[in-house]
Amino acid sequence: MHQSLMDLWYGFGVALQPGNFMWSVFGVLIGNLIGVLPGMGALTTISMLLPLTYVIAPVPAILMLAGIFYGSQYGGAIGAILLNLPSHPPHAVTCLDGYPMTVAGRGGAALGITMMSSFFAASVGIVVMIFLSPLIVKVAFKFGPTEICAIMLLGLLSGATMSRGSPLKGIAMTLFGLVCGAVGTDVISGTMRYTFELPDLADGIELGALCMGLFGIADFLMHVNRVKVKPIQARMSMKEMRPTRSELKQAFWPMVRGTTVGTLFGAMPGTGPTITTFIAYAIERKLAKDPSRFGKGAIEGVASPEASAHSKTQVDFIPTMSLGIPGDAVMALILGALIIKGIQPGPQLITEHPDVFWGLIASFWIGNVLLVVLNVPLIGMWVRMLRVPYRYLYPSALFFICIGVFSTKNSLFDVAEVAVFGILGAIFLALEFPVSPIVLGFVLGPMLEENFRRAMLLSRGELSVFVEHPISAWFLAACAVLVLAQLYAYARHFRVDPGHGGNPGLVVE
Amino acid sequence: MRYMNRLGKEHLGAALIITLGAAVLLLGLTYETGTLRQMGAGFLPVTFGGLMIAVGLAIGLNAAALPGRTADDPASVHPREAPQWRGWACIVGGVIAFVVLGRFGGLVPATFFSVFVAALGDRENSLRSATALATVVDIFSVAVFHYGLRVQLPLFQWG
Repeated sequence: MHQSLMDLWYGFGVALQPGNFMWSVFGVLIGNLIGVLPGMGALTTISMLLPLTYVIAPVPAILMLAGIFYGSQYGGAIGAILLNLPSHPPHAVTCLDGYPMTVAGRGGAALGITMMSSFFAASVGIVVMIFLSPLIVKVAFKFGPTEICAIMLLGLLSGATMSRGSPLKGIAMTLFGLVCGAVGTDVISGTMRYTFELPDLADGIELGALCMGLFGIADFLMHVNRVKVKPIQARMSMKEMRPTRSELKQAFWPMVRGTTVGTLFGAMPGTGPTITTFIAYAIERKLAKDPSRFGKGAIEGVASPEASAHSKTQVDFIPTMSLGIPGDAVMALILGALIIKGIQPGPQLITEHPDVFWGLIASFWIGNVLLVVLNVPLIGMWVRMLRVPYRYLYPSALFFICIGVFSTKNSLFDVAEVAVFGILGAIFLALEFPVSPIVLGFVLGPMLEENFRRAMLLSRGELSVFVEHPISAWFLAACAVLVLAQLYAYARHFRVDPGHGGNPGLVVE
Repeated sequence: MRYMNRLGKEHLGAALIITLGAAVLLLGLTYETGTLRQMGAGFLPVTFGGLMIAVGLAIGLNAAALPGRTADDPASVHPREAPQWRGWACIVGGVIAFVVLGRFGGLVPATFFSVFVAALGDRENSLRSATALATVVDIFSVAVFHYGLRVQLPLFQWG
């Protein structure tokens, strides 16, 4: 524990270096802005700025990416509360009680509570990260290729089953992502796989192009001519943002509960922040003395989900950094970015690159402080930004996507990949397939293959080795539990409600 | 009528996955598969392809067995909306415009036309507003990307 604190101190030193700090601020600002704007989520933004990370050093690069990630969480709440517009899924629940509060004139207080919950939750998440990660490292040294394979399988499976929509479709998309990861030259044998005689594909599909196509272009395709923006009446001043004492009291315990939910789920790979917000909201409703208040402006309905989303966001980094297993698509992207910089996330990350790890944790805290400080005066500006019509936003964004992807490798071919994946993404979305698992599969595929090969080489072709190694067996058991849970839910649903549509509480991202 | 559309969608989705899986599998077989002990380049691709076919079949069976029921989260489904052919063509066209004009025209025309074509996808954009937007973005792009970030795309080039 003492060692952790020393390392954290070192981390602050790293995070506060002017160069690193600057990139952190940049990421946080951009993330916040993007969070406020509907349609462009953290995923899109990170993909757009991915080329930037290629030219800056690893530490500021990941500080920036992380800043975008949790910055966008803050921004998303603003749109949800003031305009009933969730910029992205985790804030859908916040709309339910946040918007009625705005209508009642307490929008400022809702925002204030959100910020407090977020800060509290993020701090708790950070503390958990600090003390949990070194423990994980101790265990992690026992990780060989077998164990890595098993945990990756768990990550892929949970990502597939927990994302939006049918778990079967999630698995299909994960597989598609895995195949996309295989495109290019096979490292071991040198065979060109799925390149269709195109020399540009020898190095595989460009991660940025894939993401921009799937999330950016596909998003535009789904929203063009369909976005309806409500006129904005919000005008915020600093004073309005202070919640009353009673509101604070009401919000305290929900905040704590929400944080707990988020932290617990955070460690689970494959779950996104959205599912934690639903669970937090449901818990609050069950526990409330007067459940009818929910949906009409109950402050618990804002504090708890936001707290869970924020603590989840922070804790999400644990499996990513210490085990190399991304919790969701955004983490997968960040993981991809790290790998490109030559940093292999996993057990050795903490020991081999302590500046990255501890600098990152320190930057979380600094970033969250920054966000609270920034959001108070800047809220007026964010609200004004929301006024830019979508028809100006998306063509500009499209151009930024093109030039961003181009500048990665000076390749127009990569930009063409964006178009291809945009079309594919739109087709998948129209057929109700979730696209996030594709990224998971794409990023983890090569690692999975390499470790699987190695494991098989070492065990001389014996698949039983996965069950023989204890750690790997545990993870496989977890996979089995996941599958069984899904089957159980499916069977139960079938028996209870054969003709009814899906149960929203079950399969949500 | 509505659930029949849903039914079609599920089947379409299943068919798509099965087709993709089959393609992956067949192509994968042309690479050396090897054995578990000594995996060749084709081993995992063939596995993935096979699994995709299996999942596709499962989706299809699920759709056929329980008509009117989808396991999807209703909140995520867009209500049945009209296809936006114009919007779609313009957005994809915008990206293609960037690629083609980037090769044969340079940064300035590529920027202009990618924004212009994409903007025309929105019904509320007139030729004028699209041109105006494209011009503004173009100026911004030349300033920031060419002079500022030194992106390696010449302002103008001929083929």
